[in-house]
Amino acid sequence: MPLETLFSTASSLAMVGWLVLLISPFVPRVAHIVSGRIIPLILSVGYTALILAFWSSGEGGFDTLDNVARLFESRELLLAGWVHFLAFDLFVGAWIVRDARETGALPFWLVLPCLPLTLLFGPAGLAAYFALRAARRPAHALA
Amino acid sequence: MTALALPAPAPVRAGPLTLWNRMRSDEPLFAATALFLALLVIPMLAAAMIDPRLHLGENIWIKPIKFAVALSVYTATLAIFARFLPAGTTGRIAYRLFAGAVVFAIAAEMIWIGAAAAMGTSSHFNVDEPVWAALYPVMGAMATLLTTASAVYAWQIARNRALTIAPALKTGLVWGLGLTLPLTLVTAGTMSSLNGHNVGGSGMGTEGLWLIGWLRDGGDLRVAHFFATHAMHFVPAFALALVWLGRPQAVRAVQLVALGFSTFVLGTFAQALAGRPFLAFIG
Repeated sequence: MPLETLFSTASSLAMVGWLVLLISPFVPRVAHIVSGRIIPLILSVGYTALILAFWSSGEGGFDTLDNVARLFESRELLLAGWVHFLAFDLFVGAWIVRDARETGALPFWLVLPCLPLTLLFGPAGLAAYFALRAARRPAHALA
Repeated sequence: MTALALPAPAPVRAGPLTLWNRMRSDEPLFAATALFLALLVIPMLAAAMIDPRLHLGENIWIKPIKFAVALSVYTATLAIFARFLPAGTTGRIAYRLFAGAVVFAIAAEMIWIGAAAAMGTSSHFNVDEPVWAALYPVMGAMATLLTTASAVYAWQIARNRALTIAPALKTGLVWGLGLTLPLTLVTAGTMSSLNGHNVGGSGMGTEGLWLIGWLRDGGDLRVAHFFATHAMHFVPAFALALVWLGRPQAVRAVQLVALGFSTFVLGTFAQALAGRPFLAFIG
């Protein structure tokens, strides 16, 4: 299978997950199962397959920045890295939606800006969610 | 069935989920191992679809997939047979340590075979690369250890006087499980000492029998290994068929079939050693 096909399949799959998260207030259970379990797991299987198949063909390693760069010179491992982003970002997005709903920490309209941020810049979205959650925390009653 | 002091016993429903729950309550460790090994097949199948590398002419992931399936079937079978062990066996410390060692050996085998595939080298019969060559005998010991579970089950089921199943089925279980270890040691041990599964022929999987890959152009010791290890399935299956046919006391018939099956295994073994393919007229 051409790498380009795998790339676009994985990206479309992740986008489906993000769209489901957008309508999650109406279908919280479905959103949790689809975007928090099924799609991240499919992407995880794909990622694992890429690593099993191509890890040994790559050069470099995790120890220095140069070695990490050399690792991603392999297009197969670059794709694996991308699928890693897609899988984990979606999983974190689904976690944010669920955490906000279950704890009641944040209304959905404040979760909404965190989602595209997590899709595009994963950790920034997670940080924004925690910042908003902290800011919205009710003051402790003064003794 | 375990007698539980419940006011109204739940109706027993047959089905995959009932079987699975029974396996999990009888032998949780082997049941969990069986499920995990089955799940392991999924990413390896996906890897097989995108990995262009070949080993002896077939996709490099076929071998670890076969091992995961085989070991999953093995541990699932033990989890099903665990109900015939003497009451309390699976709770004993000695048993728990043994079962833990068996699962450790299975994990070691899978990591060894999976890593060899990922790194594009041979797991079995690898004498060219020092590390892999050093690992090979260790893995032989692991394979022996994991196979001893069948013999331990044979022994424990044989000494279970409280067992209320048909005598023919009990005989089938004891003989089938009991034959698996010695027959496997003979066939797989020879394969190991000959440093290859093929006797004559190309040794390439490409031309092999559909799905299972047994060689068509020479002797293949894996045939005898397959039947040897599956004694624990074939002999009890025959006994079960006898019980269903209304012959629950036919102990002698089961013993004869066990002996006949052993002869058949040794026959396929001799055939492979003579360099001839199994069922040459197929494929």
